[in-house]
Amino acid sequence: MQNQDGVQVDGEVESATSVPIPEFDEWANFGDQDIMQQHSAIRAEEAEKIPFLGDKEPLSSLAAEYQSGSAILLEKIKVLGEQYAAIRRTRGDGNCFFRSFMFSYLEHILESQDQSEVDRIKANVEQCRKTLQSLGYADFTFEDFFALFLEQLDSVLQGNEASISHDELILRSRDQSVSDYVVMFFRFVTSGEIRKRAEFFEPFILGLTNATVEQFCKSSVEPMGEESDHVHITALSDALGVPIRVVYLDRSSCDTGGVSVNHHDFIPAGSDLPNASGGSEKVSPFITLLYRPGHYDILYPK
Amino acid sequence: MQASRARLFKEYKEVQREKVADPDIQLVCDDSNIFKWTALIKGPSETPFEGGVFQLAFAVPEQYPLQPPQVRFLTKIFHPNVHFKTGEICLDILKNAWSPAWTLQSVCRAIIALMAHPEPDSPLNCDSGNLLRSGDLRGYYSMARMYTKLAAMPKKG
Repeated sequence: MQNQDGVQVDGEVESATSVPIPEFDEWANFGDQDIMQQHSAIRAEEAEKIPFLGDKEPLSSLAAEYQSGSAILLEKIKVLGEQYAAIRRTRGDGNCFFRSFMFSYLEHILESQDQSEVDRIKANVEQCRKTLQSLGYADFTFEDFFALFLEQLDSVLQGNEASISHDELILRSRDQSVSDYVVMFFRFVTSGEIRKRAEFFEPFILGLTNATVEQFCKSSVEPMGEESDHVHITALSDALGVPIRVVYLDRSSCDTGGVSVNHHDFIPAGSDLPNASGGSEKVSPFITLLYRPGHYDILYPK
Repeated sequence: MQASRARLFKEYKEVQREKVADPDIQLVCDDSNIFKWTALIKGPSETPFEGGVFQLAFAVPEQYPLQPPQVRFLTKIFHPNVHFKTGEICLDILKNAWSPAWTLQSVCRAIIALMAHPEPDSPLNCDSGNLLRSGDLRGYYSMARMYTKLAAMPKKG
């Protein structure tokens, strides 16, 4: 028996020694650190496929995605085309809402050169700083992120030394060292607003998770890569006093059989927008995001 | 790189200020490398780690504070969420729940809290986790206590 199998067994032994099979003991050393490294390697690979922020594309590129897909979606994209001209995609890394908001807002300031809007948001940013301080955050944990956002805000206003072009704004939004810091700034602002008005947000948070307001902020708002929900959008819009329109593109259809595209306007609850609460003039958002389940991109109206 | 260095420098100054306020934590930065820190933390009272002093090693990545520091126990410890051989720590804030709102100092506080409140359902040390999960508190306590005495307490004489 031994002789018969001898050659084969030898072969196996040989291959076993030339290609070392991980010992059980090595698995013990294969820790979370390695898994995290692998995780970030996969992310880096994905990152090369889609930048943080894409180029402006005609809406037809959206339709092309669903060419062989749902008829309802194609119909809805056609309806979208009546009001919207283009889309700008963002990377689906869990930060897409904040990243879309960042670029959309800074681009709006760059194009409108609206000094009064800049003054207004700066006052709100100062308020957010005080909120975080009163919640017990040490200044040095968030001040770098605040400073970087304010720097971007100043640089999109033209006529000073640090002014940047539209192209430069795109480059910065794609540069991790700027882009992620601004995303983190928004996460701090959002978290501060939710915790400051914990009573207001609590029922919404309980509807999403089983967590307390503080746990929710610690686990689902402050960490990078945690996806945003209506709670985040409401809080950010309120804290900065910036209205946001979200257009929903999903497979739902209405009972009447006709296809329409729903949108929701997040109108800040703050007092610095007197028109928002029952005023005659309706506040119209200058930031429009396209929501497809799990992801936000930027939409450009015609 | 520059951003992480600036942030760590602020933390260094904060640590000097906090020294008196937080006597259970002694955070020290490497003389020549601000990305390397060690900490001495006191085992929390009413736990098998009481009376012990545990050494932690911090390796701070260049993307700090967007990415968490790598922290491990240098002192041997018998705890469900610490790898018995490598000292690696299973703690959400050191992994996916990290945010720049945390600091090296507050990470130390979180680790002290973990020592007092082990999570036996996500064990890195299965023997330790199994003792707790099977309700053998006495077994857990005496094992953890023994290693505290062996590894984390100053030798007499």
